[in-house]
Amino acid sequence: MSRRLAPQPGEWIDRNRPVTFRFEGRPYSGFAGDTITSALWAAGVRVLGRSFKYHRPRGLYGLDGSDSNAMFETRDVVNIRGDRAPIEEGMDLRAVNTFGGVERDRLRIMNRFGRFTPVGFYYKAFHRPRSLFPFFENQIRRVAGLGTVNSGKALRHTPKDYAFCDVLVIGAGPAGLAAALAAADAGARVLLVDESPRLGGSLTWHGNLDDSRDRLADALRRVEAHQRIQTRTATCVAGLYADGWAALIDRLRLTKLRARAVIVATGVFEQPAVFPHNDLPGVMFAGAAQRLIHHYAVLPAERPVIDTRPEGDSPAAALLKREGINLLAGRFIARARPAGGLAGIRGVELCRVDERGLPRIEQRAEQLACDAVVMSVGWTPNDTLLRMVGTRMEYSAEREQFLPVELPGGVFAAGKVNGLVGLEDRWADGLHAGQAAASALGFGAAPGGSRPAPAGPAINHPYPVSDPDEGKNFVDLDEDLQVKDFRNAIQEGFNSPELLKRYSTVGMGPSQGKHANLMALRVLAKERGEPLAGKQITTARPFSTPVALGHLAGRIFTPYRHTPAHAFHTERGARMMFAGTWLRPEYYEVVGKTREACIQEEALHVRGAVGLIDVGTLGKMELGGPDAVRFLERIYTGRFDNLKVGASRYGVACDESGVVIDDGVVARLGPDRFYVSTTTSGADAIYREWQRWALCWGLKVILNNATAHWGAMNLAGPRARQVLQPLVDISLAAADFPYMGVRECRLDGVPARVLRVGFVGELGYEIHVPAGHALGVWNRLMEAGRAADVRPFGVEAQRLLRLEKGHIIVSQDTDGLTQPFEAGLGWAVKMDKPFFIGQRSLKIHQRRPLKRTLVGFQTDEARPRTMPRENHLIIEGKEMIGRVTSIAYSPTLKRTIGLAYLPPSMTAPDTRFTIRADGGELVPAQVCRIPFYDPAGERQRMTTPEEDAR
Amino acid sequence: MKLLRCPINGLRPIQEFYYGGEYRPMPDPDASTDAQWADYVFNRDGAPGVRLEWWYHLASGVWFLAEHDTARDVFLRTFLFEELGQG
Amino acid sequence: MPYQLLRFALNKKYPEPCMFPTPERLKPRYDVVIIGGGGHGLACAYYLARDHGIRNVAVLEKSYIGAGGTGRNTAIVRSNYLTPEGVALYDESVRLFQDLSDDLDLNLFYSRRGHFTLAHSDASLRTMRWRAEVNKHLGVDSEVVDRQFIKAKCPEIDLDCGHNAPVMGALYHPPGAIARHDAVAWGYGRAACQRGVEIHQGTTVTGIRTEGDRVTAVETNRGVIETRCVLSAVAGYTPRITSMVGLRTPITVHPLQACVTEPLKPWLNVIMVSASLHIYVSQSSRGELVMGASLDPYEVHSTRSTLDFVEGLAGHLLELFPFLWDVKLLRQWAGLSDMTPDFSPIMGTTRIDGFLIDAGWGTWGFKATPVSGKTMAWTIAHGRDHDLVKPFRLSRFEEFDLVGEKGAASVGH
Ligand SMILES: Cc1cc2nc3c(=O)[nH]c(=O)nc-3n(C[C@H](O)[C@H](O)[C@H](O)COP(=O)(O)OP(=O)(O)OC[C@H]3O[C@@H](n4cnc5c(N)ncnc54)[C@H](O)[C@@H]3O)c2cc1C
Repeated sequence: MSRRLAPQPGEWIDRNRPVTFRFEGRPYSGFAGDTITSALWAAGVRVLGRSFKYHRPRGLYGLDGSDSNAMFETRDVVNIRGDRAPIEEGMDLRAVNTFGGVERDRLRIMNRFGRFTPVGFYYKAFHRPRSLFPFFENQIRRVAGLGTVNSGKALRHTPKDYAFCDVLVIGAGPAGLAAALAAADAGARVLLVDESPRLGGSLTWHGNLDDSRDRLADALRRVEAHQRIQTRTATCVAGLYADGWAALIDRLRLTKLRARAVIVATGVFEQPAVFPHNDLPGVMFAGAAQRLIHHYAVLPAERPVIDTRPEGDSPAAALLKREGINLLAGRFIARARPAGGLAGIRGVELCRVDERGLPRIEQRAEQLACDAVVMSVGWTPNDTLLRMVGTRMEYSAEREQFLPVELPGGVFAAGKVNGLVGLEDRWADGLHAGQAAASALGFGAAPGGSRPAPAGPAINHPYPVSDPDEGKNFVDLDEDLQVKDFRNAIQEGFNSPELLKRYSTVGMGPSQGKHANLMALRVLAKERGEPLAGKQITTARPFSTPVALGHLAGRIFTPYRHTPAHAFHTERGARMMFAGTWLRPEYYEVVGKTREACIQEEALHVRGAVGLIDVGTLGKMELGGPDAVRFLERIYTGRFDNLKVGASRYGVACDESGVVIDDGVVARLGPDRFYVSTTTSGADAIYREWQRWALCWGLKVILNNATAHWGAMNLAGPRARQVLQPLVDISLAAADFPYMGVRECRLDGVPARVLRVGFVGELGYEIHVPAGHALGVWNRLMEAGRAADVRPFGVEAQRLLRLEKGHIIVSQDTDGLTQPFEAGLGWAVKMDKPFFIGQRSLKIHQRRPLKRTLVGFQTDEARPRTMPRENHLIIEGKEMIGRVTSIAYSPTLKRTIGLAYLPPSMTAPDTRFTIRADGGELVPAQVCRIPFYDPAGERQRMTTPEEDAR
Repeated sequence: MKLLRCPINGLRPIQEFYYGGEYRPMPDPDASTDAQWADYVFNRDGAPGVRLEWWYHLASGVWFLAEHDTARDVFLRTFLFEELGQG
Repeated sequence: MPYQLLRFALNKKYPEPCMFPTPERLKPRYDVVIIGGGGHGLACAYYLARDHGIRNVAVLEKSYIGAGGTGRNTAIVRSNYLTPEGVALYDESVRLFQDLSDDLDLNLFYSRRGHFTLAHSDASLRTMRWRAEVNKHLGVDSEVVDRQFIKAKCPEIDLDCGHNAPVMGALYHPPGAIARHDAVAWGYGRAACQRGVEIHQGTTVTGIRTEGDRVTAVETNRGVIETRCVLSAVAGYTPRITSMVGLRTPITVHPLQACVTEPLKPWLNVIMVSASLHIYVSQSSRGELVMGASLDPYEVHSTRSTLDFVEGLAGHLLELFPFLWDVKLLRQWAGLSDMTPDFSPIMGTTRIDGFLIDAGWGTWGFKATPVSGKTMAWTIAHGRDHDLVKPFRLSRFEEFDLVGEKGAASVGH
């Protein structure tokens, strides 16, 4: 049975483009321009969904984007709002949250158990005995929740967009259109946005359209022709934030807009009449009925009655009366009579009203047969966006509604949201707001005259509630809340708006209480005997309409960094790992070998021959200026004023509380020129803080974070000199370029900085070249080193090699509270300097006994059966007395070595202790001196006795 | 997103900035008692109100000071460190 | 149908009395005044009355009970912290939480889900192991698990994270739970009122009077109250209160935001946290995905929402759960977090006689509601810090004796 009407002037559907789709397994068709709800209603479907708690049948209600009971899902998309979503060819829809389909929903039985399940019932049951709660919770979880998400589907990326305008006008009804025109005429660039697919707002559906058709057409013509007005339809402003930042959502994307001023002309939301069975299919807002007719050419019902109170503005009434619809005047719906099953209602019972317009249920009036009730009892401003930016809304007893009384700077309101009713007033208000917004930005003059004020009798019924003992009368259809739920909650002490909301869950459903919040406040006011007059309403939180996570995520931009030599690593089969935001080779995979074997071979090769590692991720700072050395003296715990040009030194940096935060090598390139490395992950923060200190201390120092300008690699191993010497234009002889020296030279013609450092404990050269040359130099070294059998090695081998040398890694062997004396770094801390960051705090620490000390150790067994791992605990009796921070099997030393924190009383070499490894296995170990390997440091110095003698 | 005025680069989205904490001049370490020093290192003026803060423009590396009303989240004034005490 | 529900059907009138009956007027004097009607303040009032017979107690709440962090948090309860002091404290809290519904006779929906902290790097896997080892040593169920284990417990997850920093393992904590946060405040409030405590909502403390270094009275918008014992349990409002007595603390206040999606049928049965991606997510018993991220980057005392927060969160969430792109975010909000430098709370007596503090709960204090209430009540009753409280005393900062929980507290809550 089709309820499609003859073509309506201005209808939104395209009758030449039929669209077919399925709902609950049955085929339907509608037209392009239909929403899911309108198409189903046109097809005579009345039950579109089931309610949340009682699983009552529900139809369309507001057709305004807030119909939470007409919510659908397809295989791929959940919680589709039928009143907004256009139908698409081939869509296969079902209602959400039914058990066995919308018609046969097995949980409809819940409707009978209402008496057992009053407001908050779940707080009162299911928790005793404790052991049964998981069972009940599972049941509760299964019946709660709306759509079923399909976890098998792939990510669908959507783009994001940015936009800018002078004035954002939200809502393209008469007030918004007028505001846009006025602001643009004054010279502002305007963006006019409306969530409907067409401009015009209520002029496209509300009241007698014959009267306003010409005005709309004219306004639309002017808007479209205006060079400074852009329009966006089917676009929802989901969030407004500080400084004119707005989130615009359309079907495809999130647009982030920066507006210099915002005009909110978002109109109103209709409010329900509350009477038993006011939720059944067929009961709907006048707005819904009118939208059905004018937008979609669908007959709302066969025999509706229209309930309009108070009798003020009721264009709806006028219209519907013309079509022979019953109008209730001076009477009140006491209750609707269910038709049973899926059929909605079959009539209403009326009662008389008292002098204040409130129902007297005991005074039965008459019964009316009908298949629908069209409600028109009041509105509330659609003020979500206004409240999101901090507008103060206050209840006006005169108007029986909340009205904006104080707007934040740059935000304006116009039209119905200001409580205006008549079209002329709304238009004038729009012009006023448009001019005011434009002139605030320096366009045109401030508007003359004052804004129109709400006038005439209030159009909102103060308490359109019939609350007899029998029958469910709903306030919040999302959450299935009745008037008595509020009364009960208030009786229980939830007697302020927030507590009431939290206990009853009013407004927590998908429509966020757009049709319910005001009524809840009215019930509260009545129960407490405190009128709403002058009361304020709380701020609103984004979003005004729910937004898909995909839109917010956009393309998902998670940047990470490659070193210049990245291409080599991947070609060479490197396993890459993250180091902060950088990718680094963990080790180079060799087919047929385990990870551990690969790492050990890389390490052995460095000890025995020569290896090359990419250290391009290190932070690299350039310092210059007359105060550079003074600056370093204050930053690092060690001394640098006596560092010679051409030499480098290890440095430790603390924070102000004396905690170790970074380490690196400071190289002096010239009297006032330094080149300093920092840890990979610390670089940006270090540079930032250095800049601040330089500023605070007023030092003449130039800082440059050159991390990305330079590529870096470390050539290490006994054959390092042999590989490098032919490529550079300086002598690498130990005498000319000693351990801890630094040289600027040319490497194969490329300008290079070479540091002779020994982090891995072998003869080594850390080679820095401009990033653009780094891959070339890397390849050149690999090639030149072919005879010497140079091989790349990764981070893991490096960690092993440095452990053999007993070097700590900041943040692995230190934690967020480690000070240098605990970490065995006392030698690098010069407390006798005048000042360094953290020094004063370390003086306090020095006066207190140490709590722990980092020591080297080896396990008793060369390769314990259960290998302890980093952060396994050291146990004595029942006490945790320490912790392993680094541990590995050293193929060079043929034993398992590590670093660990122990009580200061246990740091003497050979002190025995026990590590608890996986599975509780106790692994005996003993303290050793560090370095484990080459304690005299001869290998990294690699000098011959003759050279030493010189 | 909020906007913040960098004294060098002008009005920029606040995402481009790093917050550097409350502005706290360091007392003379040698003249401070342990308690005074610990107070400097750890304690903060956490109550809402207008106060001076460090901010850093990440893209250009500019540190500056901002008078920030932390109760309302409004920036009253931003200026370079060099101008401190000049107005 | 549980029998408790029968009485609703059998009574014609709704049988429930007011949960928080309170006299209209403030008394001129109370033995103990608790500032802040959040979970912590209400719990302390309850234990004062129940365990120590101290009933002449007023809880002063400037707004409504649960208005602060208590009613805004994401309700994760766990005890897999890093320091022995922290683990002991939170473990006791979890124990109290497990029986709390029964104790308060209110269903708090305390739901044991299992808590995963994902590691996307070697370094974070190391920290996880540290936590697991300390936890196990102290009897807390906590384990480092591999990818297969995660996948078995949560088959929907994409461990490869869209090929960005794949998950390498996780810290798994089976007792990790969520609860209905508001109900915790209501349950404690009701039980405290039943024992004679007064809860005065809409009552703002505006000043604290002292003589010498001793508290004598509290000033409110409704008049002055004499008392010799004040507990400040106001979380994000702490600096305002401590400045009333001239106490300096390291607390800074940052907003922390959270959000929920529309309700969905249950699919996520665990609590999933990724510190590297700065997100965590669980599914409430109503079916909403409850999610949060890291702290807002600068200090503000306003609970405004930002778009950047949800954009970042959504991006990272879809890296783990790509199929959620069509799920809609319903609502976001913020609360004020009272942060400390070592990510541990500040509790106990202070140098001002009669002024006690329970603060610095930052982003992690909901789970500590029972234990802080209980130990602070003990501390008030005995006039000295409870053993569990001692490590968290305010003076630890000037003693350079911090309790470093950063590694365990930053995003995980
Ligand atoms: C978004 C978010 C997510 C979080 N997630 C978690 C989590 O998952 N797990 C977890 O353990 N923790 C979490 N937390 C932290 C947790 O919420 C808080 O640490 C905890 O709720 C603090 O409780 P409280 O009772 O101390 O304070 P609150 O609940 O904040 O209560 C303080 C009360 O004091 C009142 N007050 C303030 N000033 C005055 C005055 N002058 N006079 C009278 N009354 C006053 C306030 O109105 C407020 O009600 C989260 C916090 C936030 C914001």
